[in-house]
Amino acid sequence: MVDALSEIRRALAPGGCLIDLRPLGGSWPVEVASALEIKEAGRAAELPAGVADDQAADQAMKHAAGRQWFRLERQEFFPFYYYWDSPGEMQEYIDREWEDFLRVEESAWRNIRATWAVADADARVRIRLNMMIARWRKI
Amino acid sequence: MTLQKDPERTETKYLHRLADFAGRRVLEVGCGDGRITWQYARGARSVAGIDLDANDLRLATIDRPSDLESTVTFGRADSVHLPFAGQNFDIAVLAWSF
Repeated sequence: MVDALSEIRRALAPGGCLIDLRPLGGSWPVEVASALEIKEAGRAAELPAGVADDQAADQAMKHAAGRQWFRLERQEFFPFYYYWDSPGEMQEYIDREWEDFLRVEESAWRNIRATWAVADADARVRIRLNMMIARWRKI
Repeated sequence: MTLQKDPERTETKYLHRLADFAGRRVLEVGCGDGRITWQYARGARSVAGIDLDANDLRLATIDRPSDLESTVTFGRADSVHLPFAGQNFDIAVLAWSF
């Protein structure tokens, strides 16, 4: 990662900037959302592989700042939602795409399914990722 | 299966809040299938997206609108060996790629 940041710095013109955009790890709320209400129904926890990736990214940026390759100018946080029509579709997706990074406990799945079953007809299931975006100026 | 990613387009809003892409030369490292690229490419002077995944790059190229063919290019490359001369870009985007 540090090598990639060094290469990016080389490719940037003087005064250029790097936009670092990524989800932050931890525990993400799973919500049942309809037009009328939003209910938190469980949480999805990041597995060690995902945590390690987050830490490595933070370390790489810290290293780049320490070497005076980049200076942090601005950093903001925002929610990013993935929506599925049903808990089953969500479970299928997580098992297929995120099995190495994310886990939802069976007790949480039970609660998600129960919450969705009695929710409004337009209710969908969503997971809320916490996103970070930062602008780093080339030094 | 109906999966929707960020239908609120919050990501796009924040991307444009932090960077002015108009007239800029942009390098996107880890562009994948171009999902992020299409959020800022229109208006940029040029965009070079790189990724290691050939299938994602194929999808990005298929999805590229015809009016962006001359300004947006995709290529297979490793982020630690960028196939570009130095000081070639105004903005680098590293999105979901660490």
